[in-house]
Amino acid sequence: MNVILKVILAVYKFFVGDLVILLGTVLTMVILALINSVGALVSLRGGLGAILIVGVLATLVATLGREVARPENRQKA
Amino acid sequence: MQWAIVIAAFLAASVEFVEAFTLVLVAGITANWRSAIVGALAAVATLAVIVATLGVALVTLIPIGVLRFVIGFLLLLFGLKWLKNAIQRYSGLKFLHDEEAIYAANMEQARARGEAVGTRLDPFGVLLSYKSVLLEGLEVAFIVISFGSGGAGGIGTAAIGAAAAGVLVILVGALVRAPLQRIPENTLKFIVGIMLTTFGTFWSGESFGINWPFSDLFLLLLAALYLVVSALLITAMKRRQPRVASATTASEAPMLSQNKEVRV
Repeated sequence: MNVILKVILAVYKFFVGDLVILLGTVLTMVILALINSVGALVSLRGGLGAILIVGVLATLVATLGREVARPENRQKA
Repeated sequence: MQWAIVIAAFLAASVEFVEAFTLVLVAGITANWRSAIVGALAAVATLAVIVATLGVALVTLIPIGVLRFVIGFLLLLFGLKWLKNAIQRYSGLKFLHDEEAIYAANMEQARARGEAVGTRLDPFGVLLSYKSVLLEGLEVAFIVISFGSGGAGGIGTAAIGAAAAGVLVILVGALVRAPLQRIPENTLKFIVGIMLTTFGTFWSGESFGINWPFSDLFLLLLAALYLVVSALLITAMKRRQPRVASATTASEAPMLSQNKEVRV
């Protein structure tokens, strides 16, 4: 494997190691940034905190849901 | 001496020192103390360079919002990963002690190779300690400059208040260190996951201009919320999953270590 790819993979594994957590957190941040910068969404700015907390919890539920749905975990049930 | 400035700086800096020291404790207990101390000292050295170079201009030149966002985002990633693993173990989806066995096996292998164990620098511990002390240290510097810029000698007076807060927090932290180390590993990792996620949410939220209700006290409410939701998730997952065996044997550990992350 290319050295650069190995480095990227090592950094990814160190900081996250879970694609659902990475995507969920990035998506939450993008939504917050959009609300913060787009004029048409100004009415949502009062709920930024709630949106952030819901985004974090949704990410947690999604990553756990994926683990539960894995075939090897289904066999345990 | 202007006691109002000393007391105001002491109180404000105490909050920041508690936040920083909490995460240094987390790094010390979950990784090792050498990593936590190295990270904290590196952050103090960085702070010293920044303060010596920029001085009072620090307030206008350091983009504290960007720093809060980066650190908050990273803490969210770390925190959610820890929380996920701890919830999986509590719910029976993952072996409760597998990582202990893996860790013990790895330590045994390291001893066999003649390597010193337990005191090796852990990148996670160093980074967690470093970024927490750097962010909170900068906030303390901001407090000292803001509170002290009112009059002659004000910065020195505010610095005395902040330094007293730092010494007090370190003393209290040293006292609670031993009891914390007796907490079972998965419980500790669960608490750490909650804390990292809480701090991550709080700081990244502040970087977007969110004014949390009750200011820094909101951290406690946020932690309580995450605790309740995690408990509900564990209960829901336990209903779906029968408990798996709570431990794996040390002999299986080396094989497992090839597939699973170690300690996190």
